[in-house]
Amino acid sequence: MTPFLMEMAWLVLKGVMALTFIAVSAMFLIWLERKVSARIQNRVGPMITGFHGALQSVADTVKLLLKENIVPTGADFWVWWLAPFFVAVPAIMVFVCMPFGPSAIVCDLNVGILFMCSVTSVSVLGIFMAGWGSSNKYSLLGGMRSAAQIISYEVPLLLSILVVVMEAGTLSMQGIVHAQEAGWFFLKPNLLVAFIIYIISATAEVNRVPFDIPEAESELVAGYHTEYSGMKFAMFFVAEYTNFFIIAGIAATLFLGGWLGPLAPSPVWFLLKAYGIIFFLMWVRWTLPRLRMDQMMSFAWKGLTPVALLNVLVTGWLLVIKG
Amino acid sequence: MFKLFVDIWQGIVSIFKGFVVTGRSMFRKPVTIQYPLQKAAMTQRFRGMADLRVEKCISCLQCVRICPTAALDLTSVTNPETKKKALESFCFNAELCCFCGLCQDVCPTKAIFLNALYEVAYYKRSDVTAIDLMAPDKYAHVGVLAAGKGKP
Repeated sequence: MTPFLMEMAWLVLKGVMALTFIAVSAMFLIWLERKVSARIQNRVGPMITGFHGALQSVADTVKLLLKENIVPTGADFWVWWLAPFFVAVPAIMVFVCMPFGPSAIVCDLNVGILFMCSVTSVSVLGIFMAGWGSSNKYSLLGGMRSAAQIISYEVPLLLSILVVVMEAGTLSMQGIVHAQEAGWFFLKPNLLVAFIIYIISATAEVNRVPFDIPEAESELVAGYHTEYSGMKFAMFFVAEYTNFFIIAGIAATLFLGGWLGPLAPSPVWFLLKAYGIIFFLMWVRWTLPRLRMDQMMSFAWKGLTPVALLNVLVTGWLLVIKG
Repeated sequence: MFKLFVDIWQGIVSIFKGFVVTGRSMFRKPVTIQYPLQKAAMTQRFRGMADLRVEKCISCLQCVRICPTAALDLTSVTNPETKKKALESFCFNAELCCFCGLCQDVCPTKAIFLNALYEVAYYKRSDVTAIDLMAPDKYAHVGVLAAGKGKP
């Protein structure tokens, strides 16, 4: 076999492993979400399927596979039909530079974090397409709210990532991890501020409580994916939980030292940190109430963005002083 | 300006109070039970289906008379020698019953009582409208005193 073919086969294998991880991780997260919510509300959650309901997500997937795919009357068919792919494909593409370990990465791009941020931004297009194509007022409202929210929170999110890039001096995900060998980034005060801003705006990016206005079930049914059923709905769901893992993975890589850690193998450390953040965000989801639309927008523009800008400025000064 | 910072600080504190509350309930015992597998015990005064201790009934017809919805129907035969009444049939219509419990209050021998069973859906209409309390073995929701049907 030629070296080129070998390399291609190795890349395909890594891609397949990443895809498998995405599917399993999304299913695990759905189960975890149900369990965490149940425990917080003094319930027990799914118990029948498998050990403590471990196979609940499998049962749900089978149910969704067997369901009819209903196209709403008056839907803008192609927009409606393509929307789930626009949401799910970016979520999967981001895993190209998700560093699970020193060599456990599909491809370490030298513009890794920039690539991740730009690709995840595409999903807002899919969400708005879903809202528009469904020809349903709730979907449209959800899609519009989502577009406004994601674009607003992208600003503080990217500014907080910018601080990390300034500190590490590289855009490559592995480079950022290696820059933290002296000490994890969130231990520095300016990066701790960036970490907090990142977590808040990332929660808004993935439309989770307290920023779940686009899919506020008590006012908008389910927001942009109200009119989807069967596997199309499943794609939205998987994309949502994949995005959830992505923001936790990025937070773990940028601020908590990624796969760095003693004793245990590096992927274990990475997953431990990522799932720790995920657990915290689930805790947030089942604790805090939903914000109002105007409160959320003013918080992004009047609260987070100035603080993030100031943080960039301070970090720049500190870097100049240190030389 | 100072008030703004106080507000922000109080907001942060209130958020963390919420986390403490939800975090604590994560380690509390669940209040729910796995219903079809486990069943909650009914209270002493729960009023379920009417049930009969056949040997205690003296056919005085007090329950039939007091029943506000005429859900009970009993016939008896009088023994010509001893002048004692013997129960011939005791029919209970659960569709009419309003579960008021007057029959068990009025019964002088505590023969009729309301049991603690609540899963009383049946496929045959006659299993609800014409329950023969003399033959409790035919039903799952009456005759709780018989073996294997739980306590009354």
